[in-house]
Amino acid sequence: MSTSPKIQKEVIENCKAGDEKAFAEIVLHRQKKVFNIAYRMLGNSEEAKDLAQEVFISVFESIKDLKEEIKFDAWLTQITLNHCRNRWKYLKRRQYFSSHSLDDPIETEDGSVPRAVYDPSDNPEILFEKKMIQQWIQRGLLELKEDRRELLVLRDLQGFSYEEMGESLGLPEGTIKSKLHRARMDLKEVLERSTH
Amino acid sequence: MDCEQARDRFSSLWEKEVSPFEEKIFKEHLSSCPKCQREFEQFEKTMRWLHSVGEVEVPEGFLPELYRKIKEKKRAIPGEKSRGRWFHFPLSFKLPVQAVAMMAIVFLVLYLTKMMPMEGDRLKETKQTSSPLSVQEKPEQVLTQKEGEGERRALETPTETPRPKDVEQAKAPVPKEGKLEEASVPQVKAEAKKREAPARSAEAIGYQAVDSNKAARVKTPSPEPGKIERELAVQEKSLVASKPPQEIVLRISDRKKVISRLHELVKQFGGEVVTTEGDSFLASLPTGSFSGFEKELAGLSSSGKTDLLMAKKHATGSLRLEQGAKREEGGEKSKGSEGLAADTESRTIVRILLVEE
Repeated sequence: MSTSPKIQKEVIENCKAGDEKAFAEIVLHRQKKVFNIAYRMLGNSEEAKDLAQEVFISVFESIKDLKEEIKFDAWLTQITLNHCRNRWKYLKRRQYFSSHSLDDPIETEDGSVPRAVYDPSDNPEILFEKKMIQQWIQRGLLELKEDRRELLVLRDLQGFSYEEMGESLGLPEGTIKSKLHRARMDLKEVLERSTH
Repeated sequence: MDCEQARDRFSSLWEKEVSPFEEKIFKEHLSSCPKCQREFEQFEKTMRWLHSVGEVEVPEGFLPELYRKIKEKKRAIPGEKSRGRWFHFPLSFKLPVQAVAMMAIVFLVLYLTKMMPMEGDRLKETKQTSSPLSVQEKPEQVLTQKEGEGERRALETPTETPRPKDVEQAKAPVPKEGKLEEASVPQVKAEAKKREAPARSAEAIGYQAVDSNKAARVKTPSPEPGKIERELAVQEKSLVASKPPQEIVLRISDRKKVISRLHELVKQFGGEVVTTEGDSFLASLPTGSFSGFEKELAGLSSSGKTDLLMAKKHATGSLRLEQGAKREEGGEKSKGSEGLAADTESRTIVRILLVEE
């Protein structure tokens, strides 16, 4: 993960040997990334927390099977995305996201705020409030297809390089670029629709 | 550059991955196309909003909760784990159970509907295979069957079928019961041996030419004394019918008188009239008294003589041989039938034809 400092090889080896301190170090270094990917993919803090903990339990159980320590971050991202996909399917089956719409009130830490029906650009004082926009974008992301949402989350929210994305998703760079562009255009359309 | 090409480059332009020349062409298109310009502006806004989204903080107590979950997992015994899975994913386990139950039902139904008739077919097949025996196999089977029957009858007949000699022996005065037992047991054994001996010899010969009718006739056991007499009469008639009769043509004048006289003569010479068909009489006479009977019959004739049509000399020896052969063929001929054979050997069958002059 580009923004996080690289975990030292020794820490990974110690974790593989069953060192709990090494595992705790890995968790502390990567918990924010894993939690944020989960949160942007699922749009719910509680679900994201539970999922992130499951990801680290999977890491704890299966890190001994990791052959190349240098690919730990790509391996961790793959585990996170797999958990997200499974959880997304699970929640979708239970119609968890059915009532969610961009027109619904936006949930913020200070409570619900009625959604503005105007173009955000028209009322910057109200609509450009950081948390509101975050929530608004989050709703837009959840309306996208899962694979396109993944690309936006990894590249535009988490700042992954194309190389890292290629390792995590198993796709060539050109494919990732074209798909990413399609995902961005989709999000633009979704957000445009919500303002009209 | 057209609109589509320009819109495909939005991401590249945003990430500044286009060459200055491409950027120049793109901007020229945007200046000439307000629609694409508006689209690009919207795209830029979206990207700015997207990149303005910051990271959220991890909820407090994330790591301790994670440790607690790991410890809970560690504590979970494998058996309990599987039971938990049972509970949480009941369908994933129930499905195979249902499939197994379905398979069991299907096999049961197949067994009840198809396997049972198949066993019936197998029985039929065994019957069929046993019935069309090959030429070599059949006599062997007949032999074994006959041996079985012969042995069974040899054991059964002394007690079940009282024959004339047995009756006589039973009637004879017996001094002591112990002696009777001692005497009767060897007798029975000897008789059984006697019957077994011809039976076996007949079986040995009989496969080449088995007269099933005769064998059956002779084999037929006679459980009651009354039945024995009836059977003897029937057998006598059949034996009489099987012999070639001597024919005597009697020229008569008074028919009624001759017929009554004929009956008297037959009785006189120890014979009997077997059948009467109009002017034809079939009589059985002792061979010894046949010549006397013939002479007396000549007396009845109006011309004083009889016409002997068939060869008078009855081949008693040949008849004896024939009877012997029959006995051998039958193999299980009873003593009663042996006595009858002895009687018929010394008898002559006479067919008397009355011709009125």
